[in-house]
Amino acid sequence: MQLEKFYYDNKIVRSFAYATVLWGVVGMIAGLWVAIQFYAPGASLNYAGTTFGRLRPIHTNAVIFAFVGNCMFTGVYYSLQRLCKARMFSDLLSKIHFWGWQSIIVLAALTLFFGMTTGKEYAELEWPIDILITLIWVAFGINMFGTIIKRRESHIYVAIWFYIATWITVAMLHIVNSFEIPVNLFKSYSWYAGVQDALVQWWYGHNAVAFFLTTPILGLMYYFLPKAANRPVYSYRLSIIHFWALIFLYIWAGPHHLLYTALPDWAQSLGVVFSVMLIAPSWGGMLNGLFTLRGAWDKVREEPVLKFFVVAITCYGMSTFEGPLLSLKNVNAIAHFTDWIIGHVHIGGLGWNGFMAFGMLYYLIPKMFNTPLYSKKLATNHFWLGTIGIVLYAIPMYWAGFTQSLMWKQFTEDGVLQYPNFLETVTQIIPMYITRSIGGALYLTGALFMVYNLYKTVKQGSFIGDEAAEAAPLEKAHSHGKEYWHRVIERKPLQMLVISLIVVAIGGLIELIPTFLVKSNIPTIASVKPYTPLELQGRDIYVREGCYTCHSQMIRPFRDEVARYGEYSKAGEFVYDHPFQWGSKRTGPDLAREGGKNPDSWHFMHMFDPRQVSDKSIMPRYPWLYQNDLDISTTPAKIRAMQTLGVPYEKGYDQLANTELETQAKKIADGLKEDSKVKQLMTVEGMANPEKKEIVALIAYLQRIGKDIKAEPKSTTVQASLK
Amino acid sequence: MKKLSRAVIIIAAIMGAAVPAMAQGPKPESSLNNPLALTLVVIIAALALIIGLLAVVVYGAAEIELKKQKTSKPSATALTILALLIATAAGAQDAAPAATAAASDNVGGLSGSTYYILMAVLLVEVAAIFFLLFQLRFLLGAAKPKITEASTSTEGAVEYKPAAPQLSWWDKFNKFRPVEKEADIDLGHEYDGIRELDNRLPPWWLYGFYITIIFAVVYFYRAEVSHAAPSSAEEYQAAVAKANAQQEERLKDQKNRVDENTVVLITDKAELEKGKTVFMSTCTPCHGQQAQGIVGPNLTDDYWIHGGKINDIFKTIKYGYPEKSMQSWKDQLSPVQIAEVASYIKSLRGTNPPGAKEKQGELYTEDGSSAPAADSTGTAKADSTKPAVK
Repeated sequence: MQLEKFYYDNKIVRSFAYATVLWGVVGMIAGLWVAIQFYAPGASLNYAGTTFGRLRPIHTNAVIFAFVGNCMFTGVYYSLQRLCKARMFSDLLSKIHFWGWQSIIVLAALTLFFGMTTGKEYAELEWPIDILITLIWVAFGINMFGTIIKRRESHIYVAIWFYIATWITVAMLHIVNSFEIPVNLFKSYSWYAGVQDALVQWWYGHNAVAFFLTTPILGLMYYFLPKAANRPVYSYRLSIIHFWALIFLYIWAGPHHLLYTALPDWAQSLGVVFSVMLIAPSWGGMLNGLFTLRGAWDKVREEPVLKFFVVAITCYGMSTFEGPLLSLKNVNAIAHFTDWIIGHVHIGGLGWNGFMAFGMLYYLIPKMFNTPLYSKKLATNHFWLGTIGIVLYAIPMYWAGFTQSLMWKQFTEDGVLQYPNFLETVTQIIPMYITRSIGGALYLTGALFMVYNLYKTVKQGSFIGDEAAEAAPLEKAHSHGKEYWHRVIERKPLQMLVISLIVVAIGGLIELIPTFLVKSNIPTIASVKPYTPLELQGRDIYVREGCYTCHSQMIRPFRDEVARYGEYSKAGEFVYDHPFQWGSKRTGPDLAREGGKNPDSWHFMHMFDPRQVSDKSIMPRYPWLYQNDLDISTTPAKIRAMQTLGVPYEKGYDQLANTELETQAKKIADGLKEDSKVKQLMTVEGMANPEKKEIVALIAYLQRIGKDIKAEPKSTTVQASLK
Repeated sequence: MKKLSRAVIIIAAIMGAAVPAMAQGPKPESSLNNPLALTLVVIIAALALIIGLLAVVVYGAAEIELKKQKTSKPSATALTILALLIATAAGAQDAAPAATAAASDNVGGLSGSTYYILMAVLLVEVAAIFFLLFQLRFLLGAAKPKITEASTSTEGAVEYKPAAPQLSWWDKFNKFRPVEKEADIDLGHEYDGIRELDNRLPPWWLYGFYITIIFAVVYFYRAEVSHAAPSSAEEYQAAVAKANAQQEERLKDQKNRVDENTVVLITDKAELEKGKTVFMSTCTPCHGQQAQGIVGPNLTDDYWIHGGKINDIFKTIKYGYPEKSMQSWKDQLSPVQIAEVASYIKSLRGTNPPGAKEKQGELYTEDGSSAPAADSTGTAKADSTKPAVK
């Protein structure tokens, strides 16, 4: 057989690797910055773009899609070529993919900074960027499949199964969750409303964790771990079982983010049971990783790459055990909305994703530059700093979550809340927030060590842009008689793609379709009416400022929450909420029944400087809302968009909307002026026309939330939903 | 062949334990919603799995032992185990009628017979586990001296040692194959230098997976089919009912029955201090640290929007004036606390804090003209202390 000579493209791998390092550091700095704002609210700089509500989505998007995304592509482009014994299908597509993805990241950072957001966690990017992501993802897919098809290896290795499942599932999740109706270039409304929006969003959100942060990285593990340890993969049949079980079960688990919410109970129960069943397939990956190191543990002692991998896989095992635990309703009742969840995701993020990325970079940069790593010692120091950082991050978060949850739920002997003032439960855990940020700072310092170490390695080495390799061309695939049944599909990547799609689609379809079609799932409440134009504009400001990153709008059916916030939330209350704003974290109190709780004047004073009103509040200031005029030119388009989505505004209302908006704003502003303190503040701020300012719209919205059913607390099933 | 016989044994093991459980299937069906019954069934299923697992281990150990003795009769051990399992099942069935006859009373909401049957199955299972463990110990005990014997008798031959590597419990737990022997299970291909082994699934992992699946089925059945488990709303109703019962109990104490009609101004220092604590954590966001007023009115002057009498203040705090942005606190403060904080507020009269808000509402004087006789004494008492403060 004639051997064919060809070259691996290392240049594209290098580009992605550099991007990984750059965005990793950027994302971690953003993270540290938001962490500091928890105990030093002044760190928001009283500037819109750097306030928690906008910076937190920048942090999450940067670490997930920029850092881990580029890490995934680095690993895929490196390993795929070698596992297929072929150069990437198209150098041009590789470049389009690389530059396309980097421009998405830059656009994401800019738009989020300027408050352009859909208000759906981990899917905040506005519609033009969503389209760009789809295009670039397709380019990546063509490039990947082109390479797989022209491979010189008869079977595709387990790492590639994971890449295929990742590609198809992320495509499905992104497209379904991003259905939105544009108002203009920078603003859109989610196609779905309320409960349905929540279900789609967490079906997406949970599986973004599964198929963006887990499956591709498992693929990387299956390549880089056996390479670095020079050991065979422990068990092929474990690979098969855990792969298929993982992708099938994962997709169902989304509703565990919505336990005790207004989501129908049956969907919640599905979320619980599938999460519990996920333990084994997740641990299958961990075991296959750790057991691969059998007979190589002596190497772990010396090799920093393996050290990183071992801790990464261990963290993966811990967080995938904790996840199902958190999905049990009684545990979730304690943990949800608290910092426990933040601790949980950072075990996964810092431990699993971060350490896999670091290990991989320490492995492949020296390989591509044909030189040993500049300093193993420095890498080991990075390892220890990072590990201590994770511990210092996670433990305070668990502690804080537990403490706060217990305080929320504590009743006195007299049967009233022990801590009726939410703020008390916040000031209690400030020391934990401080410790957490120290942990984060250590982790970041470690990453900076790596930057220096890799820089020196690159300097001392000589880059092999096109790495020569040779292999025999692919023969006509044939079976050798007796073989593992799974070997058949390993010769047929496209069939594998289709089967993966079917396997991952099942769970989603079974959960989503009934929620959309069966009306009894969301009983309509007659008194729930669409927002007024001013409230709608105010709601968009609420979304823009990322209020949902700290405030939930979902009162769960617990005695303590009903005592603290009011009647628990009903599914029918959210039918006009495009997007839903239930939130996932309560750094501040729930706002689902905020309407009418505090006077307009209180909101006016509070949003200007929360610490003038509540001494120890950690909420940021929003002074720009007192300066910016509300942009009412968008009102008609917004009303029309809502009409398209089925919100029952009367025909032609878009033309009347602004008149009504101004009347309502005037009324609120006049009321505000009656208060002497408010008036004083208006004078100081030089607010000549307070009724025109954004703050008035926001107050209008806040005063509306949850008010519709205060009059009639019992939900009744009335005719058809959504008109 | 060997694989097949082993599979048969595993299935038999699980079935053997499951059969008695199934036999009771129709009987406790009505009580399947009972938490106790369910717990027991789940434990029975889990124990059945453990028995299956142990059976495999014992079988494996027996096989090694047999190989050592060069008498290749694995089916004998298999038969022993099978016999044992059949005995298990039979034993359970024997126990069943006896228990039925004995019991007629209720245990934990279960009919007595069901309870005793389940318990009997459970006990038999536990016995089976002990028996298997005993067997295992016996087999391993038999293996150990053999190894030492071999190593002592062939002292010279160094290369003989690795042939009989000592298995740690961890190795057995995971069904590890000695690293030296992994060439046997190498799948014979490589991807960019990566080879793959075909190790067995770690048994504990596999059985763990089965257990989660059983859990899932039972959980979903209880929550969504039989509705034995409470829904979120039902859990809430139960919590509220419990709280209401406690509240009723509390109201038996006359002190807790204080309301806007019966409230009396408190002057006791300690109780006022409690009122102050509540004030500091609850009222300051609107009324200020010193009650000077922020968006809420100044509470230290003589002007009151909703009345300045202790009864009026109590009422204002309790029910609120939502249209005037004063919220109701009756769900967050107990009546005693409301009385304390209302009295504390009254004690602040005339403190004239810095930055006090301008007067709002009507002038109120402590003449008690319309006050009922019941609290006029209280008011008078408070009044007499006032000048001193001034």
